[in-house]
Amino acid sequence: MSGTLLEEPPVETHPEPSPAGQQMDLSLLEDRVPDQWKSSRRLTACVVVLGVIYFYFCLKPLWHTDLWGHLSYGKMIATSHTLPTTEPLMPLAKGVPMVDSAWLSQVLGYFTITALGYAGVQGFAALCITAASALLLHRALVRTRSLFFAMTAMVVFLWLDWAPLVVVRPQLTGLVCFLVLLHRTTSRHPRASDWLLIPLLHTLWANLHGSFFIGVCWLGAMAFGRAIDLIRRTGTLRSLTHDLTLRRQFLWFELAAVAALVNPYGIGLYGEVLSFGQNSNLASLTEWQVLDVRSLHGTVFIATLVLLVWLYRITPRRVASWEVLTLIGLSVGSLWSARFMVWWAPVAALLLVTHARASIQRWFPWQADLAPSPRTGKWSLVSVGMVWIFFAYSSLGMRVMHHREPAAERALSSFTPIAAVKYLHEHPPQGQVFNTYEWGDYLQWAGPEGVQVFVNSHAHLVPRDVWLHYMQVIEEADGWADILDRYGVNAILLDHLNRNSLIKRLKDDVKWKIAYDDQQAIVFVRRKPI
Amino acid sequence: MSIRTIPTAAIWGIQLFVIGAFAASYALATPAEQKILLYEVTGRSAAETVTVPRDKPLMIEPLYDDPEVVSDEELAQVLAQIVPRFPKKQLKPNYVEHALRTWWLKAKFSDPTVMSGEDMKDYLVDHGRYLASWGDEVEPLLQERSAGVAIRWGKETCASVHHDHWLACLTEAGMSLEEPVFTPSRRNWTANDVLQESIRDFRLDEVETEWSALAFGLWIAPQKSWRNRSGRELSFDLMVDRLIRGDKKLGVCAGTHRVYSLMALVRLDDEYRILSTEGRQAAWNHLEKVRDLIAVSQFPDGHWPSNWPDGAEAVTKPVDDELFKKVIATGHHLEWLAIAPTELHPPRDRILKAARWVIKTTVAQTPTDIGQRYTFFSHVGNALSLWRKKHPADFWMKWEAEHPGWLDTPADATAVLNQ
Repeated sequence: MSGTLLEEPPVETHPEPSPAGQQMDLSLLEDRVPDQWKSSRRLTACVVVLGVIYFYFCLKPLWHTDLWGHLSYGKMIATSHTLPTTEPLMPLAKGVPMVDSAWLSQVLGYFTITALGYAGVQGFAALCITAASALLLHRALVRTRSLFFAMTAMVVFLWLDWAPLVVVRPQLTGLVCFLVLLHRTTSRHPRASDWLLIPLLHTLWANLHGSFFIGVCWLGAMAFGRAIDLIRRTGTLRSLTHDLTLRRQFLWFELAAVAALVNPYGIGLYGEVLSFGQNSNLASLTEWQVLDVRSLHGTVFIATLVLLVWLYRITPRRVASWEVLTLIGLSVGSLWSARFMVWWAPVAALLLVTHARASIQRWFPWQADLAPSPRTGKWSLVSVGMVWIFFAYSSLGMRVMHHREPAAERALSSFTPIAAVKYLHEHPPQGQVFNTYEWGDYLQWAGPEGVQVFVNSHAHLVPRDVWLHYMQVIEEADGWADILDRYGVNAILLDHLNRNSLIKRLKDDVKWKIAYDDQQAIVFVRRKPI
Repeated sequence: MSIRTIPTAAIWGIQLFVIGAFAASYALATPAEQKILLYEVTGRSAAETVTVPRDKPLMIEPLYDDPEVVSDEELAQVLAQIVPRFPKKQLKPNYVEHALRTWWLKAKFSDPTVMSGEDMKDYLVDHGRYLASWGDEVEPLLQERSAGVAIRWGKETCASVHHDHWLACLTEAGMSLEEPVFTPSRRNWTANDVLQESIRDFRLDEVETEWSALAFGLWIAPQKSWRNRSGRELSFDLMVDRLIRGDKKLGVCAGTHRVYSLMALVRLDDEYRILSTEGRQAAWNHLEKVRDLIAVSQFPDGHWPSNWPDGAEAVTKPVDDELFKKVIATGHHLEWLAIAPTELHPPRDRILKAARWVIKTTVAQTPTDIGQRYTFFSHVGNALSLWRKKHPADFWMKWEAEHPGWLDTPADATAVLNQ
């Protein structure tokens, strides 16, 4: 700063005041924005698009399923200052070992909703999606040198991942971590800071969400892919020992694996991640089932896959083995369990536009490089202004600046049983409640203190027998009514949309009476409580 | 800035660091976490082997010697009905289990056609004996597993009928933990291998938990908690929660076995503190509710109906119970009341009336009737013996010695029936 004071003050030229009625010559204005703060029109365009994404996702209502369970776990951790070793919220799951792989996301989520309400959670999720989109956009832009293709990559990613992105859950933080990793590992110019960034990222990731293992596998696949490339290129194993890239990728893989051990469960987290998918209860949940290729989601997946295969056949770019390995791995994963599409989508989108751009460039070789986009202070100002506008008008901005909380009816998905749970809050049920698993989390979060939910959407924590009994009731299989008696269920919360048949049977059953009913939900209570 | 070289020494250093980090992380994990990790990665059981602090199981001593409930003669008459006189072919394990639980290992009878306690035990622990009775067309009762022995149970007559019933009955009969168990291909198992397998196998939410609760309590108290195969942490508190869960009439024998096991856990808690304060209170409250229900659900003739949990409504709106259902409810209630403190008793006249009815009913049965419903009547014999603070085997052997040829005297039976 002192140096600045000693400098000669710049000579300022004051243009003559223009006579009334004459326009000012703006070209005479000097752009005094420091060079490093100047930005291009292209960047402003990206900011606007990302702003729209952020704004849009800020408006998306919070989903009615596991978000509320995660917030409940977050609340429990934040208030007790301990991590649960066994499931703490579902009475029927007492003693079931719990490795809370998303504890940090849950705590962050709880603090967010405590401080900023629904808008805070909406904003947090929107920021995660925007950050993931921005990282992909940037990487695609650098790889394709085309704003159009970069935008295409982002749109493909958002399109493919639409369904999972709508559901706010800790996975979103994992997705951001994955995009950071994807961004750094697909860069042609690794930085020294990556040696720090990648292990730290995995430490953070392992505490945010169990998907950190995808990151470790990703790094392993990249190293393995590099080894394959080297052997193919040189025909000898000796090349493996001296290749800097291979060494780097392999060490990143190892350091990431070790860094992920820095979590409250240590190596136990690996066990949890490896066994999670084997939980039999998950087989009942659509999102964990084999991808239905006849569904829209599945058709889009297959179409993208076919397009990728075709592009790989025609692309003039050299195909790195890591691309094939990760695509095959994540594709098989997605077919095996639809939830894997979350990770497959950004990779597929990036590689799709990379090879599409290269193929098109071969056929239409004009505009091989990105046309230069001059950097000026004006665009910086516009960019900052746009960021401010998007933030200020978003629900999060409204909450931060004006303390204006969106109404629950707008902030929560239309399938959230707000009124029914309010009723239960005012008329706390005695003993065990039977509820659909979709609503268990919200009931736990917004229902009366200590409400005994039957199941919540953390299905892997529900004992197998309890889960089978739950399915028996929901599917009205033989003996379903006995199950309600055996568990001493005294209240039942159901939705009209999917459980009409069960509702009809309960209406016909003299043991039950309707305590609450609206167009969305119904509450039955037992005439003679057990 | 990028790194241009990575020295080989650095690579080796990192390899050591990685191995050390994983090893340290594994070492720092608790044994339970290590077990769970191994289970999750390899599928090997996460259950810890529970150290059983005794060679012989605990016994829950009866509290009363009340000849007003049942006299010696009446007891002898009832026990005479349930001596284990079973056919050798296709011998139902369920019958043997019930008989052994009632008569214990030490039972010996003057009639050579009656199985002694040792005979019954041998039948249950030796596959060869079972094979001799059922042939090789049925699956073995004793099922070998990698780390222990499981008991085949289910609706088939050649199987044990309830989960862990085999274990609970042999436990109540006083089996040693080191009792050899001979499976089809191995002769080096012991009862402990059955117990440990049962502990690993146990699932809290399976349909029947009554016998597991009882057997575990009698063996592993004062240990309060353990882990099953899937790593779930189970405890006697959870057992209590499970036993009191749901409609009271659901459960084996009109829900009465749940009450008996609950009472047994409370008695064990008196001495071994296996329950938390809340767990004990929950069990006690439940037993008080049962007491109140049976106080008002008894019929004038003294029997309790199968819908006893309906309370007074059970009498005003009676269900059409078959006789054996009345015997089940009445006999089983008398059984748990015999080990219950007086605070948990219904008015004394209810107990006396119930005893009158069940004695009369039991004595009136023909051998064929008893043969068809042996299991239910065995509970009557056990219950009445408990009310005299006597063990059936001790009482019977003494009675036989003191009253030679008594069984052939029909007058005694008639006297009971006429009371």
